[in-house]
Amino acid sequence: MVMRKLQLRLNQTQKVRFERAMERLQSPGNSVIVTESIPVNHEDAFLKGHGTSEVGGELLATVCGVVDRVDKLVYVRTLRARYKPEVHDIVVSRVIEVAQSHWRVELNFSQDGVLKLSSMNISDAVQKRRTSVDELNMRNIFVEDDVVCAEVGSFQRDGSLQLQARSHKYGKLDKGQLLKVDPYLVKRSNNHFHYIESLGIDLILGRNGFIWVGEHVQVRDPMAVDDEMISSYTYNTRKGQSHTPFETRQSILRIGNAIRVLSNLGFTVTLEVIMETVNLSNTKNIDIHDMLGSEFHVLIAENEAKRRSA
Amino acid sequence: MVGLSVGEQHFLKGGIAQDLRADGRKRLTYRPIYVETGVIPQANGSARVKIGGTDVIASVKAEIGRPSSLQPDKGKVAVFIDCSPTAEPTFGGRGGEELSSELALALQKCLLGGKSGAGAGIDLSSLLIKEGRVCWDLYIDGLVISSDGNLLDALSAAIKAALTNTAIPKVQVSAEMADDEQPEIDISDEEYQQFDTSSVPVIITLTKVGAHYIVDATAEEESQMSSAVSISVNRVGHICGLTKRGGSGLDPSVILDMISVAKHLSESLMNKLDSEISAAEACEDEDLLKCKRAGTLLTRLISFLYSIVSGSLFKVKKHNKLHEDCDILGGEMRIEVMRSAKI
Repeated sequence: MVMRKLQLRLNQTQKVRFERAMERLQSPGNSVIVTESIPVNHEDAFLKGHGTSEVGGELLATVCGVVDRVDKLVYVRTLRARYKPEVHDIVVSRVIEVAQSHWRVELNFSQDGVLKLSSMNISDAVQKRRTSVDELNMRNIFVEDDVVCAEVGSFQRDGSLQLQARSHKYGKLDKGQLLKVDPYLVKRSNNHFHYIESLGIDLILGRNGFIWVGEHVQVRDPMAVDDEMISSYTYNTRKGQSHTPFETRQSILRIGNAIRVLSNLGFTVTLEVIMETVNLSNTKNIDIHDMLGSEFHVLIAENEAKRRSA
Repeated sequence: MVGLSVGEQHFLKGGIAQDLRADGRKRLTYRPIYVETGVIPQANGSARVKIGGTDVIASVKAEIGRPSSLQPDKGKVAVFIDCSPTAEPTFGGRGGEELSSELALALQKCLLGGKSGAGAGIDLSSLLIKEGRVCWDLYIDGLVISSDGNLLDALSAAIKAALTNTAIPKVQVSAEMADDEQPEIDISDEEYQQFDTSSVPVIITLTKVGAHYIVDATAEEESQMSSAVSISVNRVGHICGLTKRGGSGLDPSVILDMISVAKHLSESLMNKLDSEISAAEACEDEDLLKCKRAGTLLTRLISFLYSIVSGSLFKVKKHNKLHEDCDILGGEMRIEVMRSAKI
């Protein structure tokens, strides 16, 4: 793992502990910098992938990153790259534009994603044709700046990305906060939607690096009536809404800060690691804001080193 | 500026109402403040301040000038702020000009006081060399590298740190000349005088969101503000300046309450800043000592090149003395490097 430069002031003992923990976490020989030679057995036939180039009989890296080998393909995976979408990835995105029959969303990809009205499931399980009335009512569903959870559908022939939100677990997210981490920290797993029952919190790890932490929202009943759906999205309900309960808010913020710490340290973000971090902060009675301090960062680094060597 | 959805805005406002902000802070808690001094060796004084995601650099350049005829017993100070496009894409071209001039004006008012010079944080008469003839002109430049709210507080902290770091060369005025001639001055290369910054105020910005106000707002919180009041307080607890931004009006009792809160916070902020600044200066001295021990011109060259790179972030402006200095590289390089090492 490539070591990151932390923007924290560490005193002498903290520096020593931190460096020691980081040393244990470094995977030797895997990371390369530009123009470094990639160790490869020239006798085996291998394919030169992204980030490599053959110069003078040697295979050199053209980008900084980690060397990955898949069968015969040797390539260099950069770390701070933008999100690279794969089909069926779960992403959390923000609506930028409401266009005719589709929404344009921002996903931390080189292009904007497109969420078509026909890829949305507003009402019951029966797919009905989208009429012009639905098109006019698009603003009742999502407006600009809304946070939306969707799944990557397909790549169009012109290279644009189509999203779909057909299941009821997708859709608008509110009552929480959106966090941004580097996309490579969220690995593909079976489940990206986590409902933490003990705290009553929804945690959605978008593969594009956008993570949503918020109050738990019951998944809507698929048999509910059309009109109820549409009206529930209007803004009149906002005015009468109560605030998030204090306990839930504290848990949301703790999880949020745990994710920020893990992202600063460059550790993969999974539910287990997040909950471990949160529990550690609870047992050590660390104040929510102090979680972003240098002492906690060093603690988490040591914890991770212990966890990996165990 | 990224927009927030209605749900997120509601969550943010709810947090402020419940005294638990998005990163776990209370309403009146600052983010951690980091200070680095001496980041631009060619300048007489410089500092870089990071408050959370907000990153600013301030530099002080001193030049020999003539005092104005209205105030012949005082030196001159000018403050200029530049918002770099690296902070926000909207700052590119002329986009950041309005914000820059607003910030510069607010800082100027709180550092320099009124037209007559009364209430100034910097003692302008200490900049005088010869009454009516020669004085020091201080050019204070601020650069915003990264903007995550609370720019004014960060800039005032950076200017305070830069002034503490400032070393003005000692000047000797040679033999008396006739009244209309410029006297000869001898600028010392060896001896410097430190600037006295005990009366420089700090600015505390209180942002009103909903029915409560918070200190040190992030960019997201600032997007939800109804109004913001920036109060500059000095060590003694006197108010040196006050600026109100934002569309909605405020009841006078609210403003008075904000002022008392700011006064109360200013003590802890001043102490925190002072300790950070002295820690930063100690760090800088340690680094310079290491340089000397290494003994090679190379290490000094590298630190100089770093300063050039950071200097090249400044746009070319009429009053931007740093960029001019970068241009005069050539033959003066070696001398500048020696001088900056402050042997």
